[in-house]
Amino acid sequence: MSSHREAPETAKDPVADSTDVYAFVSPDRPDTVTLIANYIPFQAPDGGPNFYEFGDDVAYDIHIANQGKGEPDITYRFKFHTAVRNPTTFLYNTGQITSINSPNWNRPQFYSVTRIKDGKSKVLAPKLACPPVNIGPRSTPNYADLAATAVHKVGKRRVFAGQRADAFHVDLGSIFDLGTLRPFENLHLIPSAATPGVNSLQGFNVHTIALQVPISEVTRFGTQPTNAAKPGAVIGVWASAHRRTSRIFDPKVGAYVGHGPWAQASRLGNPLFNEVIVPMAKKDGWNAHRPKGDHRYAKYVNHPELAKLLPVLYPGVFPNLAGYHKARADLNAILLTGIPSGVVPGFQNFTGPVESDMLRLNVAIPPSSSPNNLGLVAGDAAGFPNGRRVDDDVVTIELRAVAGLTIPLVDPSFTPDGAVTAIQDGTSNTNTATTSTFPYLGNPGGGYQTVPGTAAV
Amino acid sequence: MSETSRRKLLAGTGAGVAVGTVALTMRPAAAGEARRTPSSAREPVVAYIEDHRAGTLRLMVGEREVVVHDHDLVTRILNAAGGE
Repeated sequence: MSSHREAPETAKDPVADSTDVYAFVSPDRPDTVTLIANYIPFQAPDGGPNFYEFGDDVAYDIHIANQGKGEPDITYRFKFHTAVRNPTTFLYNTGQITSINSPNWNRPQFYSVTRIKDGKSKVLAPKLACPPVNIGPRSTPNYADLAATAVHKVGKRRVFAGQRADAFHVDLGSIFDLGTLRPFENLHLIPSAATPGVNSLQGFNVHTIALQVPISEVTRFGTQPTNAAKPGAVIGVWASAHRRTSRIFDPKVGAYVGHGPWAQASRLGNPLFNEVIVPMAKKDGWNAHRPKGDHRYAKYVNHPELAKLLPVLYPGVFPNLAGYHKARADLNAILLTGIPSGVVPGFQNFTGPVESDMLRLNVAIPPSSSPNNLGLVAGDAAGFPNGRRVDDDVVTIELRAVAGLTIPLVDPSFTPDGAVTAIQDGTSNTNTATTSTFPYLGNPGGGYQTVPGTAAV
Repeated sequence: MSETSRRKLLAGTGAGVAVGTVALTMRPAAAGEARRTPSSAREPVVAYIEDHRAGTLRLMVGEREVVVHDHDLVTRILNAAGGE
């Protein structure tokens, strides 16, 4: 979760496994939008000597749809290249790394950024430097300052690619033990005593691609919309990772060599979509498909398996949900089309009738001065499912939505069960604090100073 | 001498071909020795026959995919792949 190891194939391919995608109007630069795609889940900070890095054999895309067709109208493509400065040592670093150009960093990684629009590609930056991973106080002292030098300005854009702290929190061990929700353990079909929630992602890092661009660069009419009711105020956002169609193992170099066109290996829009909506047997295919064809998965949204399981796993807790058999128009709107005008007063992020999984961000809604991490369902229209901010508690939001909290938006005859507003997974956010400026995700935990199973340091 | 060299490539538009691919139809040409054309690939090529009955050969070259429809060529590759 939210898309960590969410499908059988991506679980075996971490560098192409997108974990989370975020899209929000930048709180400190509200004339820009920030787009973030994270990869490589569950990075133990001490995972050396071959520390984590992006795949040189993967093309990473962040897509914008602004025409309501479920197709990418603008794509930002990131491609990486890794160098080895000293072929005679086994070390990742041969001394302190005090700058991203340090000769002591033996395995630097670089990347290009290309913008694709109307079938035409333009290289925005041919070679930008990633920061090294956070090794420890001897190897990467003053890591925050070091990583900050890897925030690059490309025209009016800002871009960063490198290791950060995972901002997502969830109790994986509990949820995947037959849908246990710690607050309701005693009410589970197989009851047990209540225990505190466990943040399974505490102390783990990810690899982040973050891009901040002027809003006018990604909107339908090339402007910064001010009227949230206008269709042109909404953009769709998702990320995808691509591998070459053919890979041949070259024994001369001991590595795979790619041939042929890039083929989509994974994608991510809304958190948890592929994870808990799409059936196991369909997950790999979903990853290879483009959002435009997501009508084929609409039946799993309209009648989600989890909504059927909750009343079974928690007998008597969700009687109203158990008796609701209509198609879930609320979830269809939230996940596949956006919420039309008239459903939530003063809000819409509708992108048209094409069912496609993507984050939908109404960029005319300014950042909240006092964000509520439950987002729109708590009255904060600047948060999920209006795009997604790094601190939004999407597990709680989606659990409550699936359990019926959002049904009355489209079907006033339904009364949510009393337990719905108490649903959570029992965790608190014990991750490294996020930051108030780009790239917003916190500094990664250091390999030396972070103790496995505890909060990152 | 490979019979591939005695073939002429005729560009086509294969319906249903994935984005980024090019479909070609190969037909017999006058007998003769194969000659590299100016546009001949200069990098490694991976050939893939997914269905032995379809007569379709997919060539992965660079960041492109070339789809060739040629039962005879496919048959000869299958024969070669069968060994013996």
